[in-house]
Amino acid sequence: MIAREKLNELRAKFGPAIQRADLPSDGRLFVFIEPSVVKDVCAHIFRDLDARYVISIGADDRPSSGKFMVAHNFAFDREHLLASVLTYLPAENPKLDSISDVVPAANWAEREIRDLVGIEPVGHRYLKRLVLPDGWPDGLHPLRKDFAWNQVPEGFDEDREFKFDEPPEGCTVVPFGPFHPTLDEPAHFRLYVEGEMVRGCEYRGFMVHRGIEKLAELVLTYNEIPLMAERICGICGCVHNVTYAQAVENAIALRPPPRAEYIRTIMLEIERLHSHLLWVGLACHIVGFDTLFMQSFRIREPVMWIAEKITGNRKTYALCVIGGVRWDIAPEMKAELRAVLDKLEAEWTPVVAAVLKDKNIQKRTRDVGVADRRLVKEMGLIGPVARAAGADMDCRRDHPYAAYDRVEFDVITADGADVWSRVVVRAKEVFESIKIIRQCLEKMEPGPLQAEIRDELPVGRLGMSSVEAPRGESHHFVITGENNRPRRWRVRAPTYQNLQGVPAMIKDQQLADMTISLGSIDPCFSCTDRLETIDLRTKAVKVWSQEELRILTRRAKT
Amino acid sequence: MSLLSKLKEAAVCLKAGRVTLPYPAQAQPVPPKFRGRPIFDAAKCIGCAGCANNCPAREILVFDVCQEVRILKYLGRRCTYCGRCADVCPEDAITMSHEFENATNSIGDIQQKLDLFMSTCQRCGRCFKEPSPLEQLKLKGYRFDDLANEQWIFRSQAYLTEEAAVDDVKIELD
Ligand code: SF4
Ligand code: SF4
Repeated sequence: MIAREKLNELRAKFGPAIQRADLPSDGRLFVFIEPSVVKDVCAHIFRDLDARYVISIGADDRPSSGKFMVAHNFAFDREHLLASVLTYLPAENPKLDSISDVVPAANWAEREIRDLVGIEPVGHRYLKRLVLPDGWPDGLHPLRKDFAWNQVPEGFDEDREFKFDEPPEGCTVVPFGPFHPTLDEPAHFRLYVEGEMVRGCEYRGFMVHRGIEKLAELVLTYNEIPLMAERICGICGCVHNVTYAQAVENAIALRPPPRAEYIRTIMLEIERLHSHLLWVGLACHIVGFDTLFMQSFRIREPVMWIAEKITGNRKTYALCVIGGVRWDIAPEMKAELRAVLDKLEAEWTPVVAAVLKDKNIQKRTRDVGVADRRLVKEMGLIGPVARAAGADMDCRRDHPYAAYDRVEFDVITADGADVWSRVVVRAKEVFESIKIIRQCLEKMEPGPLQAEIRDELPVGRLGMSSVEAPRGESHHFVITGENNRPRRWRVRAPTYQNLQGVPAMIKDQQLADMTISLGSIDPCFSCTDRLETIDLRTKAVKVWSQEELRILTRRAKT
Repeated sequence: MSLLSKLKEAAVCLKAGRVTLPYPAQAQPVPPKFRGRPIFDAAKCIGCAGCANNCPAREILVFDVCQEVRILKYLGRRCTYCGRCADVCPEDAITMSHEFENATNSIGDIQQKLDLFMSTCQRCGRCFKEPSPLEQLKLKGYRFDDLANEQWIFRSQAYLTEEAAVDDVKIELD
């Protein structure tokens, strides 16, 4: 057992600092260690054992253990293992050595823990607020259990200004976003520009954070969360829905029936199909090639229709509950789905053949937005961004879930590490998805759709699940809890890691390449912020003061 | 040579022709399983409150006016058309309709208010048959959601007292 092996390796090196370990199943490892060695253990796992950093989770565990908890999750992709390093911290003044100078990818996660749970990462070099709004009073942490889900904090200071960093010498600041034609959702990049060259940037996001995790911990119940999880993202919603269900199933050691696993696989691949086609279209649109934008969307449309026929909605499939799925794929639907796939394949092949030879697109995208292997490792980049840099990782193969262990497919990689390679990877992955769905349709047997759950779910179990979303690995971590709801649920969307690579990707390249570089990670700010987006349209040319804007929004509400 | 690929791309477009649908002048029929706005049937509903307890968006309010009358109100604001209410309803009183053009200036157009006759019902919740313990009714008893402000109140009472708990917006977990 690989989990046992890794545990022994850690024991040999750190001995008594390892307090206890859970090996609930092969492929999962939970190690509880003393706070003082967290940094060393993480450095060892990340550097010497060459694991990939996934996410860090902070939790207020005071109601049950009287302590705070922090978990650092890592993935051993080649060995098919997800490992979590957990530690408990005292209730008073909780702090923990920051790991972000040995694991740079942990930068955001640690700041988020500080904002939301109030655990201080000691030694973190850039402790700026990440998630909470600027006016939020200091010392109040919304993910603590003594903070009510609908509490309005006292002393919210609307006038407190965000302090931007100083731009480097000789650079001009060019603001990009929060609203920009090539950003479909709000995020702000403050670009430092020297002439036409971008020398760096500051990112400011989380403008639409809506606290879905808090709701899950205090208001929703186990089987309500999947339907809310799905609304984290408008493009890869089903991914979050499945990942959540799988994380809970992982925690309680429940296996959905095989037919449900096949249906999950099929729907996830249908989602990847529509998402990749959409992305190729948008990428072309960003570089000004609208012909292909139109054609991608046209080819994509039948995929949306078949999803609507199977699940009742073209995008929000409302697919999973814990232990299974809600919708079946009837035999006549199978035939229809096959026909859609055949047509898609026939139409996508000539498009790919044309695009892969199109010099204009190549000129616009080659050597642009470069994220090399080193950046992939340091920032924990995932999905097509990583695969385009030659990093051979794919959760579908590395951490098989649903029915992926029963189908054959290739993991597409490229080695340009640039936007062009990402186009190539995504364009080709469409064919792999078609292959996977065909195999599932072939292999799935009749049977129940949901596992029977007879008792309330056990309390205090840990579970995690990684699902390969169209943009990379989506990772959910769950601690089961009382009152028919999880005690802690942490969502890590792929863009959360990929966005952290953007400053390095756009550095020292033309300002005009910024849009496609950012677009090439297929950013999904909703996922990252865990919220929904609001679209305000006004034709009036007027500079609004903050106060005027506030009055306007208040009026709009009533 | 890039010209060749441009020609190929042009061929793709020409072959496709015109695909834009004449919506909204003409609406496409929706597939049979389509999940549109839920419609409640007052004749079938027994007022068990199972749908209200399992609505992820908290879109269904329950208010006990008196022993005999319970009001069930569907708000139609944040409803995500997920269909869970229809899933769990033991009486099949909820249909996920095919209505999707639900934009309106007056929300009353899509809201539904059911006045349910409850007779001597003690609101014990046993008539709600949950598919699994995960859907069990946590808020049993008499319920007093805030109809005026369209808000859930996260509590219920074992007895129907004179002064109903409508003003109490203090949150109690279960
Ligand atoms: S469809 Fe879903 S969101 Fe709408 S009322 Fe029913 S359960 Fe609630
Ligand atoms: S679940 Fe069905 S029977 Fe029960 S209150 Fe809702 S609509 Fe009425």
